[in-house]
Amino acid sequence: MSARIFTRTNPSVLKQCLTRTGATPSLARSAVPCASLFTFRSPLEAPTGKLYEGHIPISPLQRTILAVGSAFTALANPLRGDMVAALGETTSGIFLNRIRDQMLQDPEGRRILRERPVITSETMQLDTLRQLPDGTFGREYVRFLDDQQVSPDTREPVHYVDSEELAYVMQRYRETHDFYHTLTGLPVTVDGEIALKWFEMAQTGLPMTMLSSFFGPLRLSSEERERLFNVYVPWALENGSTGKLLMNVRWEEWMEKPVEDVQRELGVRPCPEV
Amino acid sequence: MSSLLARAVRTGIRSPLSSRLHQPMAAIRFQSTEAKAAATATEEYDVVIVGGGIAGSALACALASNKASSTLKIALIEAFDLSNHIKWSPRPDQYSNRVSSLTPKSVSFLKKIGVWSELDSSRVAACEGMQVWDGVSGARITFDATDVDGVQSSFLHQVFSGNIPTPPGVNNSTNQENLDGSKEASPLAWMTENLHVQYGLQKQLVGHQARGVKLDVFEKTKVQGITTEQGESAQPQGDWPAVQLDNGKTLVTRLLVGADGVNSPVRSFAKIESLGWDYSQFGLVGTLQIDPSTSTAPGQGKGIAWQRFLPTGPIAMLPLNNGYASLVWSTTPKIAQDLKKLPARDFCALVNAAFSASPAELEYLYKNIGPNGEPLVDFLKEIEWRTSVHDQEASQTMIRGGSSSQGDAKPPRVVDVQENSRAPFPLRMRNSSSYVEDRVVLVGDAAHTVHPLAGQGLNQGLADVECLARVIETSLLSGSDIGNIHSLTPYSSERFLPNLAMLGTVDKLSKLYNTDFGPVVWARSLGLTAVDKMGPIKNEIMRFAMGLEEPSKRS
Ligand SMILES: Cc1cc2nc3c(=O)[nH]c(=O)nc-3n(C[C@H](O)[C@H](O)[C@H](O)COP(=O)(O)OP(=O)(O)OC[C@H]3O[C@@H](n4cnc5c(N)ncnc54)[C@H](O)[C@@H]3O)c2cc1C
Repeated sequence: MSARIFTRTNPSVLKQCLTRTGATPSLARSAVPCASLFTFRSPLEAPTGKLYEGHIPISPLQRTILAVGSAFTALANPLRGDMVAALGETTSGIFLNRIRDQMLQDPEGRRILRERPVITSETMQLDTLRQLPDGTFGREYVRFLDDQQVSPDTREPVHYVDSEELAYVMQRYRETHDFYHTLTGLPVTVDGEIALKWFEMAQTGLPMTMLSSFFGPLRLSSEERERLFNVYVPWALENGSTGKLLMNVRWEEWMEKPVEDVQRELGVRPCPEV
Repeated sequence: MSSLLARAVRTGIRSPLSSRLHQPMAAIRFQSTEAKAAATATEEYDVVIVGGGIAGSALACALASNKASSTLKIALIEAFDLSNHIKWSPRPDQYSNRVSSLTPKSVSFLKKIGVWSELDSSRVAACEGMQVWDGVSGARITFDATDVDGVQSSFLHQVFSGNIPTPPGVNNSTNQENLDGSKEASPLAWMTENLHVQYGLQKQLVGHQARGVKLDVFEKTKVQGITTEQGESAQPQGDWPAVQLDNGKTLVTRLLVGADGVNSPVRSFAKIESLGWDYSQFGLVGTLQIDPSTSTAPGQGKGIAWQRFLPTGPIAMLPLNNGYASLVWSTTPKIAQDLKKLPARDFCALVNAAFSASPAELEYLYKNIGPNGEPLVDFLKEIEWRTSVHDQEASQTMIRGGSSSQGDAKPPRVVDVQENSRAPFPLRMRNSSSYVEDRVVLVGDAAHTVHPLAGQGLNQGLADVECLARVIETSLLSGSDIGNIHSLTPYSSERFLPNLAMLGTVDKLSKLYNTDFGPVVWARSLGLTAVDKMGPIKNEIMRFAMGLEEPSKRS
């Protein structure tokens, strides 16, 4: 299974999500022309100006519809990256705030907020990373990207967060997701992603991570579910709460270190049984 | 307590005071000293006031200025130097760090006892408006003098018979103009230094002494002990309190007033319990220099009191004149100590940040104050960065059509802090289980101590004093014994509930705002925003806070 969470942009996100969720037919019907919510200034006073590239200002009602719709879609298929992303953005106001506040307590976190580094194949110089010795964080990171046939450039941009800085926090959160896989050794599978969600929840408390960590298991086989709750989740809770907050890590500067050193310095043990 | 009560019943009311008054007190005193021989110099008084703080001094002044009580023999005992206050001649560019807001009710009382006119109007600042907001959510409530419906046209007129407080030295005709035509309303409060009020009080007291009022001021004198004169029941003053001073004198008194502050020796003597708790907070006071042109409030924020509730406690900036302001920053004991030691430049930057930055941003800065008060990071640079982030987002929000927080006025920038003006005070809440016992009465902080977030402590004390002086006058006019518990009960019943209500309200506010827990922040912000939009409720709050109305009377 190589579908990735946080993958590609889907322009008709809202429309799709609302029509796909059979659970909310009336909602879906009433919102069929919902794409227009974004283009016309509705009586609900959707703000008009953009805060950052890709920003889609929406009104509180639109926000709710989007949140509910994307929640159902994400539940139905946790690998629908766009829906998970939309859900995260629309519901995460105070939680993003909390992460930003945690970053503000930490010198590294402050440096990240101040400099707002971006992770792309260009800034990461993937070709240079490929030259690094095996076992270094950078080498293993590109190996992961190559295995999954993805690049840092294929990520869902941030649309619905109404603060430039918080939008950056959200973006950084997404951009650093692949490093988490390299750090923990968790695969890009449903249970692997769910384990990572539990880990993130222990670290940050983001609601979307909570949602998918609670409902995601519904889609697993009993065997997978057993491994999830007996191995992954205990590991995730322990390491998520004791390790350094990963949002405060300037990953770009750790590429030459051996993975084990990175794990030790960040206080995260690799996930067992992967 | 019960034994004192029993004694009150046993002894009953003594020889009518009116007759005693005509009897020269000196004669009794003479008798008494003679009887006790020269070893212990015992003197007899009608009223002994322990504590020459503002409450105690104001009581002496009130008694001396009232015709009926001006014939009493009064002693005022204060551990510190009081005559210094009369010599008080501050430089125009220096302000004492202890500043209080005086409500219209307090000012009206100070006028009545002749103190207000002694004050220097250039050192009294009118507070015309208040901006109070939640540091976690940004929810804000604004008060300004014109909000109080009918205060100028009817309420104050009724209550004070047209006696609207004016700053000392401002002639009444100007004020009259305000009343009749212009929109300018009576200020919400007046800000002035506690020392300044003391100056006015002591000047009046000296004046009363010169007029022949029998008022003895024992300054730089400590009360060492208080006993009840027992075993001399043959003497009429047998169970009167006897106050031992550290100068060897003993004062026997018909009525003992405890105006001796939060640790009141008089209260201990009377075995009155004091209930309450210490907030784990200190109030850091200081004198600030501000740049008024940086405030976005109308009129450069002149006369506006600013208060922001942070999870560590509220920070308040009270207006003084000439580009000065007084700071009361309630925060944790550790942060208060650190703030005191921080270099002036960094301290000012932090005060400015405390009025605008998020609690998390402030927390980072508090954490980076070294053991000797040295900043461990570049405060100015860190704050500048965060300010630029906020400004950037604010300007973009504005372009997008604005949000509610856009219209919020900004306080003026703090540019300097007066040297040695920073001092932390522990904050507590106390209420005595009762304010009166036979021959004993408590006023001011001795009776109750409140968190300074609403600036009410001193005002409550002055209200006590006004009431007690009135109750004593009534006893005198009806010929009853001023020290008898029955004579004092009206004081207690008038003051206990309002004080308790104020203490309870302020305590709840302090606790409500002492958190950043999401649901609480949400609920309180909703409440604050709602109140801000509801004129009538806002009026009620303001009247209560201005001392114009007390809630217990309304229910
Ligand atoms: C940081 C802070 C800010 C405040 N801001 C405001 C405000 O804005 N508005 C407001 O209304 N209130 C305010 N208050 C409260 C106000 O300062 C007090 O309520 C008021 O000063 C109490 O006056 P008092 O005369 O009752 O007591 P005190 O001022 O405490 O006077 C007691 C006196 O008794 C004397 N004494 C005590 N024991 C003895 C003894 N054994 N022998 C002889 N003398 C003795 C002491 O020397 C002292 O002078 C604030 C308080 C704090 C801490």
